[in-house]
Amino acid sequence: MNSNQRFLKQAQTILKKQFGHEQFRPGQEEIILNVLNGKDVFAMMPTGSGKSLCYQIPGYLLQGTVLIISPLLSLMEDQVHALRLTGEKNVRTLNGLMHPLERSRVLRNLRSLRFLYLSPEMLRAPAVMKALSKITIALFVVDEAHCVSQWGHDFRPDYMHLADIRAQLGQPPCLAVTATADEHVRHDVVRSLNLTHPAQIIMSVDRKNIAIIVQKTANQEEKTERLFHLLEKAPYPGIIYCASRDWTERLAEQAKQKLGLRTAFYHGGMASIDRRKIQNQFLDNQIDLLCCTNAFGMGINKPDIRLIVHFHFPSSMNAYLQEIGRASRDGKQGLAVLFYTKSDEQLPEGFIDGNFPSDETLRRVLLQLDQGTRSLADKNEFMNVLMEEGVSETAARFLFEHASEKPMQQTYSSLLDPCRMRIKERVAVQVNDLSIMKNYLETSSCRRRFYLQVYHEKLQEKPAYCCDRCRIPLSELMQKIPKKKRTEPLRLMDWKQKLAALFQESERSPL
Amino acid sequence: MYQDVLLLYLIQKFCGERTCSGIYHLLKGKKSSQSVQDSYLFHVAPFFHSCSELSRSYFDTRIGHLQRAQLIRSIDANCTRFVLTENGVKQLDVFPKSRLIPDGLQIIDQINEEGRFWLKLQLLVQTVSALCQGQSTFLPVVRQPEISEHVRKLILSGLPTRDQLGRIVFNELYQLFLTMPDGEANSLSALLSGWKASGLTLDQMAEVSGKDTLECSILFKSALRRMMHLFVESPDQFPFLSRLLIGRQSSLSKTAETTRKLLQTGLTLHDIANERHLAVSTIEDHLVELTLKKVNHWLPDYLSAACEQRIMNVAGLLKTRQLKPIKNHLGEHVSYFQIRLALAKNAVSGRKVVRTNEQ
Ligand SMILES: Nc1ncnc2c1ncn2[C@@H]1O[C@H](COP(=O)(O)OP(=O)(O)OP(=O)(O)O)[C@@H](O)[C@H]1O
Ligand SMILES: [Mg+2]
Ligand SMILES: [Zn+2]
Repeated sequence: MNSNQRFLKQAQTILKKQFGHEQFRPGQEEIILNVLNGKDVFAMMPTGSGKSLCYQIPGYLLQGTVLIISPLLSLMEDQVHALRLTGEKNVRTLNGLMHPLERSRVLRNLRSLRFLYLSPEMLRAPAVMKALSKITIALFVVDEAHCVSQWGHDFRPDYMHLADIRAQLGQPPCLAVTATADEHVRHDVVRSLNLTHPAQIIMSVDRKNIAIIVQKTANQEEKTERLFHLLEKAPYPGIIYCASRDWTERLAEQAKQKLGLRTAFYHGGMASIDRRKIQNQFLDNQIDLLCCTNAFGMGINKPDIRLIVHFHFPSSMNAYLQEIGRASRDGKQGLAVLFYTKSDEQLPEGFIDGNFPSDETLRRVLLQLDQGTRSLADKNEFMNVLMEEGVSETAARFLFEHASEKPMQQTYSSLLDPCRMRIKERVAVQVNDLSIMKNYLETSSCRRRFYLQVYHEKLQEKPAYCCDRCRIPLSELMQKIPKKKRTEPLRLMDWKQKLAALFQESERSPL
Repeated sequence: MYQDVLLLYLIQKFCGERTCSGIYHLLKGKKSSQSVQDSYLFHVAPFFHSCSELSRSYFDTRIGHLQRAQLIRSIDANCTRFVLTENGVKQLDVFPKSRLIPDGLQIIDQINEEGRFWLKLQLLVQTVSALCQGQSTFLPVVRQPEISEHVRKLILSGLPTRDQLGRIVFNELYQLFLTMPDGEANSLSALLSGWKASGLTLDQMAEVSGKDTLECSILFKSALRRMMHLFVESPDQFPFLSRLLIGRQSSLSKTAETTRKLLQTGLTLHDIANERHLAVSTIEDHLVELTLKKVNHWLPDYLSAACEQRIMNVAGLLKTRQLKPIKNHLGEHVSYFQIRLALAKNAVSGRKVVRTNEQ
């Protein structure tokens, strides 16, 4: 048996024993083999296809700790939770939202960890780097690697330092994974992360098991009508993406009234505890239909979501693919439907402007930093104050990240022109993304062919249930989608029942 | 229904002397000295922090509704201050007071701790629930670092052991809920999350109980305050859960507490401001808070009996608790600070300055 065969066999065993899966999905074996051989790897696999396993399995076969850089707290939390569910105990996170005591406990026990998830800004804390430099790092994983690229839709300045950081840590092998990156972005990622002769495993971004429908309607009323027509026979559980908080609440209420579904809404204006309650209910199969803004979804790995509806279209192809990518991650048949009407077109343009600080805000904030009336010392504080002043979260983050990059001997105000340039570039990227999205809505040919072209791919083989332009047989498709029993209606337990449910006790008095 | 009456009640109590925002901040429990003082000054302290989840837009919608239904009318050009109409008074009068202000709501001695206590309780219950079912991981609904740290310590303290935890938390909660009205116990327990048993949101509770969101919130707060009270009064009966409350047990804000201690050492207001690097006006706020909460043996140093009398006479004459008109009337002889002290002291002693909305 040569070494590759031996590696494969070991990987196979872990796949089964630790994760309970019978066989690898396409791409996984190749990526894992390259990783086990110590090569740098760039991998692009579609949403929900199992990228996490590609670094989790090597975690059991390599010496040392696997570091995973992840852009979002919710993503990390979900992954750690999923790993713990498989019985893995040696997994932790390091992020900005931790008690200092908890952080030092993690740092003290680094050596015993198999997996460590980190937010990128953690790697800029000297104490963290010092602790990391003392342990063996098996693999340096960059999840959602498209965030490295300024051409990517979710560019994160924090990601730009990752190459340096990897070098400081003794250049451990790197695995960069993403679901959506065109050629341009792929190039950027390989270059920015300084990958050396990387193995590139590029799979189609296509999600063949998701049938796609786009419907244009004459006005909002017709749109709502069509939506409810769809919901009458649609498979559940499902998600409806809306552009505003109001709409999430309105649609959730209407769907409850009209169809007797168990519905809920989810948006950034809710208290964080309520958001988590709704998310947990959804994961626990207590909600049929969730109406949400794009605040929901990242990091959600519920395998049996069958329906994704866009009641308003997202601002880029990338966001669209990420969002429909929540559907049918177990590989079974799913459905994505997008409704739009002419007046929707103004919505995303407003968002693009809101993603960046206005010129006035930019100037004011830089000046205040120079005058010392504003401080970068505490990121949360800085962000919260700005958000209270009405600046959007993304714009606040933009300000923080760019201001933190100031060279020692310069003033903050000297960053004004570079920031303006950066904003102009970023806006141009986003405006372009938006126009591609609009073209997609209007295309008269196959939807799948269109979005594959955006990623410079050719459609090789059409799935049986392709898209509205390819005239999918709807009723046949509905047969194909697994059905689930509707959730029982919400009810109020009395306190004795509730306590019994919480603690697995009998309802009778404990006396 | 309840929510409308609640707002009518508060509007009546505020006598048109504060804007709607004042009522909103009261319900939200805004931690500003103004809101805290108003809650005492207008005798509505039980409602402070009683609807902490209330959104401004929802609040404004309800006020708009009351106005259209002609239950309230505005008394200023900007429509920010209101009084009840005759119909409004009628509506309010027929509503049972015990439902409007459940008994538990009035127990406000732990009010500064209630937010944190509730977070700790939720996290503890969720953790113990998961442990009971042999689960070592769950997605916590509460994620504040200090809260997690506190709950972690409590669970790892080793007493009780992990196997006993579920039983003990169950028993203590059971005993607690027995002591309160079922409606309140149901509300509080419905909000708790556990393994595969996510808690409801207040909106969801309103949906299934047929009560409106504000009433659900008030019932829950009443239950929570009863619970905290029992923990303070009879910790022996609830040896484990009462440890969630260990720490400060005072209705004073932390910063006012510090000022109180310094006053005791004989420092003056100005000394304290210097020592703490705080504005004099901030220390004045503390003194007003101390007065409202009846820890004011130092009061004569800042407000003579004669001065107090003069201020209260004018307040009675003008029928107001607004500072400006009183100050205008008295001129240079008294300071705003003295007026606030006098009003605070008399709010506590229960002497009413103004009867409600006689128009
Ligand atoms: N070989 C396999 N067999 C069966 N299920 C698998 C396999 N590999 C992964 N999965 C499952 O597929 C789901 C999605 O995996 P994962 O979260 O890694 O997706 P992803 O590629 O990271 O997607 P995204 O880009 O959306 O983050 C998980 O529920 C995982 O358990
Ligand atoms: Mg992933
Ligand atoms: Zn097609």
